[in-house]
Amino acid sequence: MASSDAQEAPLKSSTYEPEYKSSFGLVVDVALRVLLFATALAAIIVMVTSEQTKMIPVAPGKLMPRTAKFNHSPAFIYFVAALSVAGLYSIITGALSALALLKSHGHSTKLQAHFVMFDALLLGIVAAATGAAGGVAYIGLKGNSHSNWNKICHIYGSYCFHFSASLILSLISSITLLLLVWLSVYVLSKKVARR
Amino acid sequence: METQYKDVEVVNRGSSFNGKDLTLRFLALTLTLIAAVLLGVDKETTTVAITLVPSLPPVDLPVTAKWTHMSAFVYFVIANAISCTYAATSLIVILATSGKNKLASLVIIILDIVMVALLFSAVGATSSIGLIGYKGNSHVHWDKVCNVFNKFCHQVAIAVFLSFAGSITYLLLIVISALKLHKKF
Repeated sequence: MASSDAQEAPLKSSTYEPEYKSSFGLVVDVALRVLLFATALAAIIVMVTSEQTKMIPVAPGKLMPRTAKFNHSPAFIYFVAALSVAGLYSIITGALSALALLKSHGHSTKLQAHFVMFDALLLGIVAAATGAAGGVAYIGLKGNSHSNWNKICHIYGSYCFHFSASLILSLISSITLLLLVWLSVYVLSKKVARR
Repeated sequence: METQYKDVEVVNRGSSFNGKDLTLRFLALTLTLIAAVLLGVDKETTTVAITLVPSLPPVDLPVTAKWTHMSAFVYFVIANAISCTYAATSLIVILATSGKNKLASLVIIILDIVMVALLFSAVGATSSIGLIGYKGNSHVHWDKVCNVFNKFCHQVAIAVFLSFAGSITYLLLIVISALKLHKKF
């Protein structure tokens, strides 16, 4: 869709240019929301399935099975909750954007202004989740000698691998939200400038 | 192209950044500055009694908690310092151009959003580490440290709260910008 638009663009006369631009913005908007949904969903699934049980020596010559799960830390519970909210939000707003695209006269400005606000709020929520999970995961990876918190990632290898994958996905989610807000602000200011 | 540029100027004439925006920006500057300084000077030394040999009485050892010991706290201080510097810079730019420069206002909105992401992630990282310090985590044997470093933990909590208020302020700035763009339309 986007590539065909881009090829057509030089053929159109300059009077049609504004229309083309607003629809191009909408296509990118819908694509970004789909990307947001995909990354949020994948991050949740990867995080929730990150259970690992290992035999840990608790005393000399004695092994005990210990399980590492995501809900052992409040930071990761918040992470899953925040990304679920982001996924749900992306479904709703993605549907609204797709509807506006089908109607082919673009977003109303009111909707776009609301998108800016709620996207920014969601960006805050997802960024906080990424920061919280990243902070805890970093200690799990490196440990902290000052507070005597030992690293655990050399024991729970696949658990930590799940976590890092999930963190990267949520980072992509936050960047997507950032791009969405940028896009909406840019389109809005273009619309304002055209009037 | 030339006519379009003229249009921009005409539309933009009536829209200077109002007092609400400047007040919020100044508030964000103050909050993030205080948060960065509060955590940046955070340091506490206490003595803990440690039993080295069971037959002897416990010895008092001095232990120090410092903000540089935790990478999340370092990130917090840097993020707050960046957003504080940005708030000061944007204030100067707005006052210098009196909000009439179209490009400057667009760049300021775009950077405001980056600051929201930066500050929120810093608050998230610091509060999750602070929560472990406060409650501990029994599953991975990370013991709580706030029973030893009382003042240190309080200072971290206040800094996180202030920085959270600062990030909300940036969020409000974006809401105001969006409403202003909507109203202009």
